[in-house]
Amino acid sequence: MSSLNKKLVIAFLFIFMLGSFGFYIIDKATKSRIDNISIIGQVPSFSLTNFDGSVITDQQLNDKISIVSFIFTQCEGACPIMSENMSVLQQRFSASDDVQFLSITTDPDYDTLDILEKFSSNYSNNDNWFFLRGNLIEIIELSEKGFYLSAALLPAGHSTRFVLVDKELNIRKYYEGTIESNIFELQSDIVTLLNQG
Amino acid sequence: MSNKFFFRSAFISTILSYLLIFVGGLVRVSGSGLGCPDWPKCFGRWVPPTSIEQIPAHIDPTAFNIVLAWIEYGNRMLGVIVGISILLMTIIAVIYFKKNSKILFSSLLSLFLVVANGGLGAIVVSSVLNPFIVSLHMILALFLVSVLSYVTIESYKLINTQKFTGILLSKKISISLIALWIFIVIEILLGTGIRTNIELIAIDNPLLSKGELLESLNSYKYFHSILGFSLLFLSFYLCYLFKDDFLGLSKQLVLFIFVMIILQIFLGELMIFFEMPQLTRLFHTWGSSWLVGIIIILYNTLQYEQSQ
Repeated sequence: MSSLNKKLVIAFLFIFMLGSFGFYIIDKATKSRIDNISIIGQVPSFSLTNFDGSVITDQQLNDKISIVSFIFTQCEGACPIMSENMSVLQQRFSASDDVQFLSITTDPDYDTLDILEKFSSNYSNNDNWFFLRGNLIEIIELSEKGFYLSAALLPAGHSTRFVLVDKELNIRKYYEGTIESNIFELQSDIVTLLNQG
Repeated sequence: MSNKFFFRSAFISTILSYLLIFVGGLVRVSGSGLGCPDWPKCFGRWVPPTSIEQIPAHIDPTAFNIVLAWIEYGNRMLGVIVGISILLMTIIAVIYFKKNSKILFSSLLSLFLVVANGGLGAIVVSSVLNPFIVSLHMILALFLVSVLSYVTIESYKLINTQKFTGILLSKKISISLIALWIFIVIEILLGTGIRTNIELIAIDNPLLSKGELLESLNSYKYFHSILGFSLLFLSFYLCYLFKDDFLGLSKQLVLFIFVMIILQIFLGELMIFFEMPQLTRLFHTWGSSWLVGIIIILYNTLQYEQSQ
């Protein structure tokens, strides 16, 4: 073999190795995305009232990918950012019937159905986003024991996290609802779940 | 002696930089860019965490994915290695090549570029992977390997003067090569534009499939294909111009360019018909960086021939 041919063979081997390495890494990254949204827990049964008066129970979460958050309408810090982010997600997934959103108020005394309806019209433009209220004690329990989110000193002490729930009511992952990179992550995880069927 | 020493450091810096572009491309296609939410540390640590318990309390562990963190950190670590190797090269240039302005200034320029691009990496992360900034990060890297390729060939000429016998460079070849380089740069910018726009559309439309994303692009995407085929003809013409060969190296390089362009068109078509599998994308991007550098090397071997 001439020295040029030898060099070519070495170059090809090198490229082949790099390609295999690249393939391995890409595959690993793809799998890690699925592993990273492994099941954390199960959503308990609940019964809350939507702003339009309808009763929404855990059954509503069946066969849908749900994003759940806790907010209250008078909140001026995190909630507007959270709701704005959720609104963006609602728009981006508007073409899918399989994605829905739940915002549960931590201030049911002030947040009547009328106030929730008004609040919802600021952010939501589809009926796949539920703004829910219920008994405060039940909401504390749902937040702490159901979604493993702190609910001390309500209303203001609610968690600012979004919860990703799959079609079988499994809690899959949490995202900081005010941080852009977390929303980015949530978006790609929703796509991952949708692709899994 | 110092010539040989410098050539080696330039050569190593160039090869490492090409590897860095490969790894950087790997970060992009595997979607690991946010593997570390902070910069330069990863989850507050110089060695990325291997378990969630290692993440300090003040950093939100939500986004922690050990695989993505290490892919992203691999890019940063290789970046540091490249930076050190270019720094060493520049030190040698400053000590031994004070009077060779070509080598001195291009070494300093490459040092500036590698540091600037490292800094831009921080902005890539803080911008939550803004597609424009990610693309700028890649374009700067292409600029870096161009300068490094130039330094390498210039120093190679210093230690191999006998290889470059006096053969005149025709105006035709000179113009064709410059044109090829400029068109390839335009081609890369077009390709980068396509990628940037696909990512921008994908952020707002996460439900679109890869095929639909391609569909939704403006008709300028066809320019990329058309220019690609034009480049093929231009490089074929160059092969023809080189048929009487000057010296082995130039002919090999011009053939290499021709084969690379065929390969790039092939990879590009694969991406369209198989909805952009990530590995194809990676090699398509990487191949373009090779083309830019190789043309610079070829041109500078010829310039030398002319001046003999």
